[in-house]
Formats: sequence, structure tokens, C-alpha cells
Amino acid sequence: MDERGWVDGLRGGDAAAFDAVFGAFRRRLYGYLVRMTRRKDVAEDLLQETFLRLAQHARTLAPDTRLAAYLFTVAHRLVVSWARAQAVRKQLAGDLPDSAEVASSARSPLEAVADSQAQLALERAFAGLAPAYREVALLVGVEGLQPAEVAAILGQRPEAVRQRLARARTQLAAALGEHYSGGRS
Amino acid sequence: MMSDDEQLASLGKALAPVDVDEHVSQQIARRARVDLAHGPSRTRLVLPIAAIVLVASYLAWTIAKLIELLG
Repeated sequence: MDERGWVDGLRGGDAAAFDAVFGAFRRRLYGYLVRMTRRKDVAEDLLQETFLRLAQHARTLAPDTRLAAYLFTVAHRLVVSWARAQAVRKQLAGDLPDSAEVASSARSPLEAVADSQAQLALERAFAGLAPAYREVALLVGVEGLQPAEVAAILGQRPEAVRQRLARARTQLAAALGEHYSGGRS
Repeated sequence: MMSDDEQLASLGKALAPVDVDEHVSQQIARRARVDLAHGPSRTRLVLPIAAIVLVASYLAWTIAKLIELLG
């Protein structure tokens, strides 16, 4: 079944279509969410919320809905809301280190799955990017979305996305040092 | 020379694959299937309807008061 078929199925409340979409996008969305939040528990919660919103709005989807764009837009908005709530919580708590900061100083869930020094360096390099740069690097570099699609997902101009991509690439190259092989052909 | 997109894609491919726990995944799918079968919950509709009723009745009251003052 192609994407149009999945959307038609979702519009009709078909559980099999939902299962196909869930299977196709679960890993991609989780990877994006866990690398943006750096918290396994938060990524799981946001993944659940993303699919619940898809299920709740399935019957009102437009027939030509691009599911990747739709799902990553929902996930992006959830990450933004979560980040805002985190910022408010930190302000209210003053200078006290919170549990998330304590957790981030230990091995992250991503570092635990890296099975080589190069992968570990890569995970750390992505994690070291500012969230705005990390997000475009993940959506374009890992998810294979086009910069124009990413611009629509983030509600940004395509030129702004291109600029962020260039900066992300430069910062990754600097962070990776000897592990960096991008651009060498 | 590779573009930024291509260079990031080659780095992205080298990242370790990550996946949500099977148990959590099943739980999410089960909950979402329930919502898919029932559509949006009724509580989601109640709030906007209540807001519309409130605003409409306030407008009606304001118009009635204005007519009363002018008339």
C-alpha cells in the first residue's frame, strides 16, 4: 500500500493502515525525538502523543497529506512545547541542578547504543549542536527530508534552513575532527 | 564537492539506529488504535463549544444593553 492508500485508510479509521504507518514512522520519529530531547522517557511520551494526535485527527486528514511532513510537524511542535516547559521549570527552580541535567552528564541513551568510537564521537557531535542546528541536521541528514519540507515543518524560510544546515555541517566537522569524512570523495 | 545536505546525509547514515522498547511501542499503538476507532474524545469538543456559547451570550447581553440604553 502506498502513502495515499495509508491516508485513505486512516481517514476511514482502518487499524491496519494505522499499524502500517506506525511501523513505517515509529523508529524515525523516536530517533528524532530522543536526539532532540536526549531523554528516553520524554521521547517515549512525545512519540505516544504524536501518534495519538494522528489517530485523533485521522478522519479529518486531507487526502493528499504527506505523512512524514505531518508527523514531523506534530513531533517538532511537541519538542518546542517540552523545551519551553523545561525552560520555565529551570527559571522557577533557580540555579538548582535539575534531574535532567544530572542525567545528561551520565551516559545518554544514544551513547549506550553507539558501538564504535566513531559512532560515539558522532552522537556527541550531534548532541553538542545547538537545538536549532541539531534539528535541521537530523531532519535533513538522518531523515532525508528536503530543506523545503523542513522549512515547512519548522515554519521557517528555506534560506534560514539552508543557513542552519551549513552551520550545523561546519560545527559537526569541527567537533568530529579526525573522525570527520564528509565531503571527501 | 558534496553539498551540506549530502555531507549531513553521509554523517546521518553513520549514526547508530535507535528504536523504542517493544513493550512501550505496543502500548502506544494500542492506545492510538482506541483513539482511531472512536475519533477525537468528546471532552475535546466540549471546551470550544462552551467558549462559543459564553462569547455568544456575552455579545447578546451587550447588544441588548446597548439597545436598552439607546432606546
